[in-house]
Amino acid sequence: MHHEEVFTDRNVSESSAYYYVDIENYPTTGWDKFKQVVKRTFSGELFVGLWVVLREMIKFDIHTVQYPLEKLPIGPRYRAVHKLLRLWESGYERCIGCGLCEKICISDCIRMDTRIDENSRKEVTEYSINLGRCIFCGYCAEVCPELAIVHGQRYENASEQRAHFVIKDDMLTPLDMLKAGEQAEYPGFGAIIPGSDASVKKTPLAY
Amino acid sequence: MINFTINGQNVTALKGESILQAARKAGFYIPTMCYLEKTTPCASCRLCVVETDKTDGFILSCQTPPTEGLSVTIDSDRLKAERTNIMRLYDVNHPLECGVCDKSGACDLQNKTLEFGISAQHFSAKDQHRKIEHWGLINYDPSLCILCEKCVHVCNEIIGDDAIELQFGGYKSSVIPKNSDTLDCTFCGECIAVCPVGALVSSQFQYSANAWELSKIPATCVHCSAGCSLMYEVRHTSNSLGAKDKIYRVTNDFEHTTLCGAGRFGFDFSSEGSKDGEEFAKAIDAIKNADAIRFSSLITNEEAMILQTLKEKLGFKLYNEEARAYQNFMNAFGSISGKIGFGGSLDAIKQSDGIIVLGGRVSSDNPAVRYAMTTAARHNGAKVVYMHPMEDELLQNVVTQFVKYEVGTEEGVIAMLAKTLLETADLSEESRAYFDGLDEGYLCAESNVGDEEYARIAKTFARAKRKTLVIGSDVLTHKRSANIARLCAMIETYSEFAVVVVPTSVNTVGVSLICDLDTDNGGERVVGYNASGTYTIGSLGGVNLGLAPLNSQEGTFVSLNYQVLPTNVAVSYEGYTLNDLASSLGVVAENTIDYTAKLPKEKGFNGSVFDELGNFYSALGEDQRGYLLENRDVRADGKLEEIDDLPEFNGTVVYRCNPVNQFNGYTAQAQQLEKEAVLSGSAQFAAAAKISDGDKIRLEFPQSTQERIFKLDPVLKGTIALVPAYDVGFGGLNEQYRFEKVKIMRVGSES
Repeated sequence: MHHEEVFTDRNVSESSAYYYVDIENYPTTGWDKFKQVVKRTFSGELFVGLWVVLREMIKFDIHTVQYPLEKLPIGPRYRAVHKLLRLWESGYERCIGCGLCEKICISDCIRMDTRIDENSRKEVTEYSINLGRCIFCGYCAEVCPELAIVHGQRYENASEQRAHFVIKDDMLTPLDMLKAGEQAEYPGFGAIIPGSDASVKKTPLAY
Repeated sequence: MINFTINGQNVTALKGESILQAARKAGFYIPTMCYLEKTTPCASCRLCVVETDKTDGFILSCQTPPTEGLSVTIDSDRLKAERTNIMRLYDVNHPLECGVCDKSGACDLQNKTLEFGISAQHFSAKDQHRKIEHWGLINYDPSLCILCEKCVHVCNEIIGDDAIELQFGGYKSSVIPKNSDTLDCTFCGECIAVCPVGALVSSQFQYSANAWELSKIPATCVHCSAGCSLMYEVRHTSNSLGAKDKIYRVTNDFEHTTLCGAGRFGFDFSSEGSKDGEEFAKAIDAIKNADAIRFSSLITNEEAMILQTLKEKLGFKLYNEEARAYQNFMNAFGSISGKIGFGGSLDAIKQSDGIIVLGGRVSSDNPAVRYAMTTAARHNGAKVVYMHPMEDELLQNVVTQFVKYEVGTEEGVIAMLAKTLLETADLSEESRAYFDGLDEGYLCAESNVGDEEYARIAKTFARAKRKTLVIGSDVLTHKRSANIARLCAMIETYSEFAVVVVPTSVNTVGVSLICDLDTDNGGERVVGYNASGTYTIGSLGGVNLGLAPLNSQEGTFVSLNYQVLPTNVAVSYEGYTLNDLASSLGVVAENTIDYTAKLPKEKGFNGSVFDELGNFYSALGEDQRGYLLENRDVRADGKLEEIDDLPEFNGTVVYRCNPVNQFNGYTAQAQQLEKEAVLSGSAQFAAAAKISDGDKIRLEFPQSTQERIFKLDPVLKGTIALVPAYDVGFGGLNEQYRFEKVKIMRVGSES
């Protein structure tokens, strides 16, 4: 009996599609058990499987996802390796160095250094996230007032060296990518909710 | 005692206390934005308004004393509405840059805005362009300024620089340098400390770290003998593994304490160390075979104790001329007063209404004394008599009478001063005869201080109630210091004056109490600990074996208040400590602080263990730092000696005096402090020495020569030039008499 689970309706009711699986009774006597073993051993099920594999192989119509060359799309709220975004117009880093992500980080894996630059502005000189310690809770993205740090979609964390887990340049959108318009505006965790433009109020100033 | 009620509860206030102070003591909360415990009320924020049954409308609790039976309400709905409105006004056009503001959340305005729930701007005003000012170590952003006037009040009332003022202009008001285009002050940085928002910030610290990342380490300032309380704020330097901690800034409990520029900006004297076993062995050998150890007073009590114990075990001599001078002075002092220490303190100076300062340039020697004098002058209207061969520009605002005496004649001046102040005292016949027998004509003529000046002093102090005599460090190294000490002790014992003797270094007092010091006769093999020697150890530049500097050490100091003050390790030090050396020499202790409990009880130490010592001020301002030494009795068998012939200093005389904010080899390393190590003199001096501004000159002291640039200082007067000592050798200041006759020659190719 074939059945597709309907995820939209998880209510258990009379009319719902739950059904009992048809399972034979277990053998009780020694003779019955012996008969079951013989039946299972000499049935041709093994060859059924082998035949399916062989058939699919010579058809050359493969449905397997060719990971790592090919990846399945993941949900926008998935919290993978962080990204640091740039401002669209100027190309400056969005990060203002407020340090809130550093403060809120519960696994204490974010560190940053700031300084006062030539224009008397606060500049972030160093920014690192120790991904070996990060628990991907998403607090940093949520607390960021500038949408500067977000969780991206890159979920592979394997590397030969621990130092690779902390590089700012890997997280920051490269300038050429920005110019090519390839910086993805992030719809996921910590981003402003859709339609928030409507809730923006004007500052009540007289001029 | 005044009894009144707050919100119906009975509260008592002392005479002179305001409603706010009484309320805080009783545990009531009244919000304030501009209130500072140590200054007079600024009364600019009006948040502290309260209602009473005897007044119409609101009154300011910060500046109103309660009356008997008054009934005060501090949290009615009307008051809440008033306060909320005030906070709304504070927030008008306040830049929404809290994310990048250097205050990083440690902000009174932010706290109060959240407390009163101000979430939107209901008032409007035209925004205006305001330029950020860069005043050297201080940056000022007028658009962040809320005009609370705390900075102006501390600068004027506590520090005495009077360098900033409020430019009134309604919404355009801002803080500006007083009578100057740019800030011209001693850069104590106290305005930065009291600023409740990020308007006044340290330019070097700005944007380098957030407040919450810094661990605060309570410690004691090591630069002068005041032993001010401070916090080293420490953080990692980089993201890499094993990165060293660094001191990012120094802060203080500004409600109750004050720091000078050296304390606040001169913190980066920590050094890197490593354990070099070979050099260590050499140091052990050097100490074993030493005739003497010469050390400076940049040392903790515990280390001094180690040296003393080593001396007893190995039999070498201990040299520290500067502390020995103080020791001799205080022994002579005690031989009249019958006490180990003197009766005054910094607090006594603050509460005085009459102060005499003699024989020291306190504004650069010990800023804490200067601040205490300023406080007394501003808060109690204290009369301040300053007696010194050189006028001091920085004391101009507080000094009511300047008495100039000739260099070297301190003994005569003090004798005459004692005679003046003890005119009506109940003296023994012998002492009375001594004072009557003084050769007034000779003393006045030689010291160049006339009768009328003493008469004016007598008149000024006849009405004063709490009087203090501050003795500077000039007289400690005077040839006749013992007799000067006895005369000072006479003044303390037989008049209402409390005496404060200003020692030079952070632990001069501690060393003088703990160590048996020998006269410095040199020797073939002298180990120098932060001092010159044939083999040197310590934390200042160029020593053979590096030891932990004072901000990497735990231990205690004795301040000029005779208070034992603990200090802690701000940044760790990988190398050796003196305790390691001593342990290898058979004077074994696990930690240096094991000696804290063993400090000599007969000198007044109470045997407390280091870890029991507090290092903070309570919320109400009670001093919980360390403990006060017991002022033990000693035998009072001293006799006044006849006044010796007063010496004459003719020709070119220089005065060993460091510039403001410079004290020792540590401050000389501090990157933020100005290091102008020049000979500075007046035009008169330049004419007498036949040199002009910018000349490279050679100074020939009896023992040594120095080459320096001469700088004409228009502020100075008279024929004495100032020569710094902090940058020479190990930076000791007070090893000999501070005035010296020198030969000055021009070096260079101009002639």
